[in-house]
Amino acid sequence: MNFQFLIWAILAMALVGYSIKAIPLAVFKKEIKNKFLSSFLHYIMYAVLTSMVVPEVIRSTSSPISALFGVVVAVVLGLVGQGLLVISLASTATVFIVERFMGFGF
Amino acid sequence: MGNSKGLALFKKGIMDGVPIGLGYLPLGIALGISAQKCGLALWIWSLMSGLLISGSAQAAVLNLFASGEVAIIAYVVTFFIVNSRYLLLSLSMVQRLDPNMSTLERLVFGFFNTDEIYAVAMRQPGKIKASYLFGIAIPPFASYMIAIVVGFLATELMPASVSSAFGITLYAMFLALVVPPMRGSRPVTVVVLCAVALNLICEAIPQIKATLTPGYTMMICAVVTAVIGACMYPLEKSENGE
Repeated sequence: MNFQFLIWAILAMALVGYSIKAIPLAVFKKEIKNKFLSSFLHYIMYAVLTSMVVPEVIRSTSSPISALFGVVVAVVLGLVGQGLLVISLASTATVFIVERFMGFGF
Repeated sequence: MGNSKGLALFKKGIMDGVPIGLGYLPLGIALGISAQKCGLALWIWSLMSGLLISGSAQAAVLNLFASGEVAIIAYVVTFFIVNSRYLLLSLSMVQRLDPNMSTLERLVFGFFNTDEIYAVAMRQPGKIKASYLFGIAIPPFASYMIAIVVGFLATELMPASVSSAFGITLYAMFLALVVPPMRGSRPVTVVVLCAVALNLICEAIPQIKATLTPGYTMMICAVVTAVIGACMYPLEKSENGE
């Protein structure tokens, strides 16, 4: 497989990522004053993460049904305030159990 | 560093970094499994993880790669968007750094900084010293690198049913980052629901699916959503840099 483009992509991303993380620490000393920009930066993380889940998650397992169960479990646990580890493991376990039950994966 | 006080701070940093590192183990393993499923070579995967050190961004990159994206700009823009929060984190962290911390020390620490390191370091009283930051940065990085390799190598040993179930782990992780903040925050709830709606609309319209790659659709939906959020609910000063 041709990985060459991926190596260039990784190097470019590393450069961008490093610039974002390190340069403000070394250069800027002032807080962001612009209200719109700071709000945008605050919300963009939620927007991106959500967009990565929907709709791709439905194709992430052997069956859309098991994926849907996994999503419901993750959302419910999130709404009652569980943390990263519990949610990830419970959702994964749910998919495993549902697929066993449905006869997928075997 | 060098003096005994610096050494004590360095050790305290390491102790504070250990739980962060433990938290990265399942995340790294899940990412390693996804990378193996995407057909990456182990050395490229290790190179990527060592240079990017960002679970959510690497998951997004794997997503793009799995969708067959070959445009480097799509990777860079996605990575920038997912990691753009570091601009805010760094800008709020810089207010708390020890003024004696040299530019070189700041540039080196910046490479290893993550959300979790930021969150723990910012809880320290007073100015944050360089020796503490170098201590706290070590365990998470070491643990992350071990986990991404273990996950990658373990995939082949797993039955198909288990690895199918792990297909959802990263998405569950994203949900775990997005859903809990929705509680008690109307703006975050609106932003998340808006993103869900936009992505579903794009998924439902065949013309959009035919013209845009999944990566671009995702980015456009995310940016539009964040702009809507910023217009509807501009942040008050106290919420900044959260």
